Amino acid sequence: MAYESVKVEKPLSLILLPILSVFTFFSAWELIVDTGIVPSTMLAAPSAVIKLFLIKLTDPNPDGAILAAHAWTSGKEAFIGYLLSLAFGLPLGLLMGWFTVVRGLARPIFELIRPIPPIAWIPLTIFWFGIGIEGKVFIIWLGGVVPCVINAFVGVRMTNPTLIQMARTYGASDWQIFVQLCIPSALPMVFGALQIALVCCWVNLVGAELLAADQGLGYLISMGRRLALPDMVVLGMVCVGFVGAVIGYAIERLECRLLAGIRR
Amino acid sequence: MTDYLGRRNKIEVKNLTRRFGDLLVLDHINFTVAEGEFLAIVGPTGCGKTTFLNCLSKLIPTSEGDIYVDGEVANPKKHNLAFVFQEPTCLPWRTVRDNVAYGMEVKHFPKDRIEKKLNDILNMVGLADTANLFPNQVSASMMQRIAVSRAFAVDPDLLMMDEPYGQLDIKLRYYLEDELIKLWQTLKSTVLFVTHNIEEAVYVAERILVLSNKPTHIKAEVLVDLPRPRSLIDPKFVEIRKQVTELIRWW
Ligand SMILES: Nc1ncnc2c1ncn2[C@@H]1O[C@H](COP(=O)(O)OP(=O)(O)OP(=O)(O)O)[C@@H](O)[C@H]1O
Ligand SMILES: [Mg+2]
Repeated sequence: MAYESVKVEKPLSLILLPILSVFTFFSAWELIVDTGIVPSTMLAAPSAVIKLFLIKLTDPNPDGAILAAHAWTSGKEAFIGYLLSLAFGLPLGLLMGWFTVVRGLARPIFELIRPIPPIAWIPLTIFWFGIGIEGKVFIIWLGGVVPCVINAFVGVRMTNPTLIQMARTYGASDWQIFVQLCIPSALPMVFGALQIALVCCWVNLVGAELLAADQGLGYLISMGRRLALPDMVVLGMVCVGFVGAVIGYAIERLECRLLAGIRR
Repeated sequence: MTDYLGRRNKIEVKNLTRRFGDLLVLDHINFTVAEGEFLAIVGPTGCGKTTFLNCLSKLIPTSEGDIYVDGEVANPKKHNLAFVFQEPTCLPWRTVRDNVAYGMEVKHFPKDRIEKKLNDILNMVGLADTANLFPNQVSASMMQRIAVSRAFAVDPDLLMMDEPYGQLDIKLRYYLEDELIKLWQTLKSTVLFVTHNIEEAVYVAERILVLSNKPTHIKAEVLVDLPRPRSLIDPKFVEIRKQVTELIRWW
């Protein structure tokens, strides 16, 4: 091999400091609740959240479902919405980047819809779909589609113009240039979109469920509010954060794998 | 219509003119290239050499005049044109081998013809060992060899090169120029080689067109009637080099 990657040693401080900061954060949180500086009606201590977590693993009361069921519902909605946003947003963005006709037609509408936060669609969505899974998938799809379009678009626009000229001198058609040059050039940006879109989908999911749901992690949070149970609210938040981080990590690993063939 | 060696005229450039707004860059240029000829074009910096090739390769439209291949207006979709750019133009996601194949793929050459051509050319330019590496794993000179091989691989009607070795060091240049000559002699392509390096032009070309300053026209034509391999210290070589240098200096 003509080249080898250089391994950089991770300094010890970068291993120790995160542990220290996490430990300090949770101890301080526990302390301010235990000592009553913040009343337990306003914030649950980590120990209370862990206790509720263990209970909710098996007990569907008082919100109607065990934790796994909530997580499963949310995950399913998010995943469907996410896949649909990729399936629609990436091709649209790629085509908009290269074909003037598509750009001309789609851009004005896209720019009009883009500034509307997906959560603002919730009332209409309820009229259209009720509070079933379709409505939430629609909201999630809206959130994910925007970064997909933008990233794919920018990725295509960044194609090296000399490469396009090179292809033209060989007589390549617009479609050949699109498939053989623009799409491969856009791939790093497209993979970036996989992560960004996922975050957008996940964030919108919770928003959608806060207003209209009967199951899901967002629903768990809003039930916690209605029943005045701060530990349930925090548990819902922690689960959202944790699941989001796990999915994000999984996507990052996948991205590294896929990009190994391109980022050369 | 034939040239001094009795070869058929392949390429005809008639009244080629290009303006950028009010700036007249190329001023009614006329010349012909014979089939299988190696023609070099030299000119001062900024005289419009790149513009000239861009017009010939149809990357930009001409203001007046046109280029004809076998009597027809050149068309990249129909004729086999090939262009080697000054900067490297390898596709980073393709291996060396697939990069060389790119032009043939665009032109929908049959699979077996592509395979055969690839094997021939990769061996000839010494890329066979690195065929499965990616461009970021090979050196800058290799990148340019990939581009040159890709161009020769399509059996071009006209192969245009825009200072392909301008950014490489001297020693490597001679080596690559020899390789270029070898490719040209074996594959009998028609080559138009643009450079501002006079020695390079005299070393590789059969005929040199000297361009003037802007507005650019052809100032002189110099035949380089030297046997190959050429020697840089051959008195005849030195004489031609001086002649071309004088032509460029005196405007
Ligand atoms: N797109 C353009 N718009 C306006 N002027 C241009 C454009 N392209 C080139 N020119 C002008 O045309 C002239 C010739 O440029 P060109 O790049 O063809 O020269 P060159 O001979 O290739 O130079 P070099 O030796 O640096 O490669 C320059 O004076 C430049 O200012
Ligand atoms: Mg130039």
